[in-house]
Amino acid sequence: MFDFVSKHKRLLQFVLALMIVPPFAFWGIQWTQRETAGAGEVASVGGQKITDQEFSEALRQQQDRVRGMLKGNYDPAIFDSPALRLELLEGMISQRLMMQYAARNHLTVSDEMLVETTMSIPAFQVDGKFSRDRYDAALRNERMSSEAFDSALRRDLLMQQLTGALSDSGLASKAVSRQFARLRAQQREIAEYRVQADAQLAQSKITPDAIRAFYDGNPARFQVPEEVAVEYLVLSTDALLASEQVGADEIRAYYESNISKYGEPEQRRASHILIAVKRDAGDAEKASARERAAQILAQLRKSPGSFAELAKKNSGDPGSASQGGDLGFFSRGMMVRPFEDAAFKLRPNQISDLVESDFGFHIIKVTGIKAGKMRSLEAARPEIERELKKERAGRRFAEAAEAFSNLVYEQPESLGPAAERFKLTVQRAQGVTRQSAPVAALNNARLLAALFADDSIKNRRNTEAVETGPSVLVSARVLDHKPASQRPFDEVKGDIAKRLAQQEALALARRQGAERLDQLNKGDASAVRFGATKLVSRDEPQDLGPEALSKIFGSDASKLPLYAGMESNNGYVIYRVSRVVDVQPDETRQRSVQSELGRVGGTQEFRSFLDGLRADANVEINKAVLEKKTQ
Amino acid sequence: MATYDLEEQEQLAALKAWWKEHGGAIILGATLVCAAIGAWNGWTWYQRSQAAHAAVLYDTLQKAARASDLKTTREAAGAILENFPHSAYAPLAALVSAKIHFQAGDLKTARAQLQWVIDHAGSDEIRSIAALRLASVLLDDNEPDAALKILEAKPHPSFEALYASQRGDILATQKRRSEARAAYRAALEKAGAGPLRDALRLKLEALGEG
Repeated sequence: MFDFVSKHKRLLQFVLALMIVPPFAFWGIQWTQRETAGAGEVASVGGQKITDQEFSEALRQQQDRVRGMLKGNYDPAIFDSPALRLELLEGMISQRLMMQYAARNHLTVSDEMLVETTMSIPAFQVDGKFSRDRYDAALRNERMSSEAFDSALRRDLLMQQLTGALSDSGLASKAVSRQFARLRAQQREIAEYRVQADAQLAQSKITPDAIRAFYDGNPARFQVPEEVAVEYLVLSTDALLASEQVGADEIRAYYESNISKYGEPEQRRASHILIAVKRDAGDAEKASARERAAQILAQLRKSPGSFAELAKKNSGDPGSASQGGDLGFFSRGMMVRPFEDAAFKLRPNQISDLVESDFGFHIIKVTGIKAGKMRSLEAARPEIERELKKERAGRRFAEAAEAFSNLVYEQPESLGPAAERFKLTVQRAQGVTRQSAPVAALNNARLLAALFADDSIKNRRNTEAVETGPSVLVSARVLDHKPASQRPFDEVKGDIAKRLAQQEALALARRQGAERLDQLNKGDASAVRFGATKLVSRDEPQDLGPEALSKIFGSDASKLPLYAGMESNNGYVIYRVSRVVDVQPDETRQRSVQSELGRVGGTQEFRSFLDGLRADANVEINKAVLEKKTQ
Repeated sequence: MATYDLEEQEQLAALKAWWKEHGGAIILGATLVCAAIGAWNGWTWYQRSQAAHAAVLYDTLQKAARASDLKTTREAAGAILENFPHSAYAPLAALVSAKIHFQAGDLKTARAQLQWVIDHAGSDEIRSIAALRLASVLLDDNEPDAALKILEAKPHPSFEALYASQRGDILATQKRRSEARAAYRAALEKAGAGPLRDALRLKLEALGEG
């Protein structure tokens, strides 16, 4: 039956093989590489997703870096800015674009290059040489597998291939550089004339009506922000540490089971002669073995020098008999207990009495002692205690976190129960506003928002437990609330008058400065006294800001002197340019300008390269996800 | 052999007849599809293996360039361009080599390398980069008109600002001030925020216009 199948079985097998196997063989890898759609995406780059998870991971790494840099001043809220998140995301997109370009063009990093680079990384070296231990330790520290490290390094090297070729190879023409260097070196002789606002103060007259109008017109300026006084509880591994008790016997047990951490133990070398008797042997058998052993021992007492010879002849331990009974060096814990006890009691070259163990009767001679270099239990005690407490507190934190959160929620009228339960101290702080708190523990955007929620202020309830840092939970409760208020007019009117007078003086000064400039340009220099002249250039601007430089060097110098004016912070300033000195920059200067321009050019070209890839790749950013994260 | 009822036998007969008629075509089709897949995979494999060979040379070149070793750089670049001209490493190698030769004052080799990229690179962006740099080299080789001509070709859109700015730089060295101004102004229009903008403003100022 099914003749066709049986007749053509071989052929069908072949066809099936062709149809089924090849797609897997050829495409399998690409299938597994395709990203699974669905889960939250932050962006899509040419069909490839940047997932929520990847973005959070990158954000976390960035946070770790910043935390490391800022230490105690770190506030996770700074990462809540959408602009900062967008910048991070843009970086990730550029990376993706480069990786896609590299994949499309089969750019590769060979295993040899990978190994060579890994070995040349200073963090993995000891005395300038690659150390496997250092490498392992460094990766463990970063909680990274060596596969993950390899793939990250491979990615970096690939990107280096591209930046090296496109960005670092930028070049600038010598002719253009020379011109640019000359431009920056050109000197102009200037003198200044300033109209200061302070000098105009006497002229400014402020009416009481104006003061009142300003007060009424700018209520926000005179607002005292809403503030609360609070009590709060911090649950953290450190806080739990204090209430952990560690018993002396636990410390001893830890010390003994981790003895290798505390130095090298004592080692002894010994020889023995074993008269073997099975453990379950009869009394008669044991007695005869004991007698034999006693005879050998008696011979040894007479001629202690013949130990090796007697061992060879009589010992029932096949491993050591041929060595004259020698067992080599051993430390405690390696031999059976009675043997060990005896061996560690003997003096060098002393011969033991009969020692009975599960193997039979031993005669032992200690032939060498290597003293151990141990830290005593007493010396290690504080360290072990800390270690054990930390370990326990860390373990307890996980369970405590949930119980703490529940407790502050279920008994919202007081922090007392939670404090008692976890042996924490309730602390207090005053002057906490919506924006900031005077104590670091409370300086967290989510916690502050919770503190100013209705439930906290009106009902004086505990806030939820907010995670303000890794393994740190804080709950706070409002004790006193001062709503935002307006400072009374009489208290501030003096300040307003001063401020308005200054404003008016500034306006007067600027108007006068502009008039003087006008007069100068008309050829009337009678009202103006310029200060001393000095030479400035773009390379050496002295105290001139970019705006002043642009005024001085951007003006047409075909007719001298020329006058340029601008408003300054406290009035108006007029520059007189009386001379232009063209300076020929020396060879070194020119060369440094050329390499600088080359570098800048390369960077810009690379930027444009990425922009081009981006335009071709269809990049979409899920703005909503970026915004959502800010809460 | 088991016996089948009439209906089943009919079905079998129909199936056999159908296979007789179409079987050959199906096998042929399947074979062609497999051959096409095989060929495509073979081609990709070939490209990948070429790239892997080029990558090793490119690594040598990168190291030599970093050490400003002119001879090794030239040899490695030459080997890549000659043996793997279609790999993506070829234009990269030529760009690096051009820079090293330009630095050493060998304008002729630099020109040849950059011209090679313009003629051979598969990516518009990379061709645009090479053109910008070739214009710089030509200017230093006292061929300002050739430099300007290179920049007449239409670049990839993301390079328009850089092209215009480069034109302005060349024109300014030729004292063609009003043309240079126009080029800088065009560049400003295309340039996004960033250092390029500031540099363009400064150059415009220097040409007597704030």
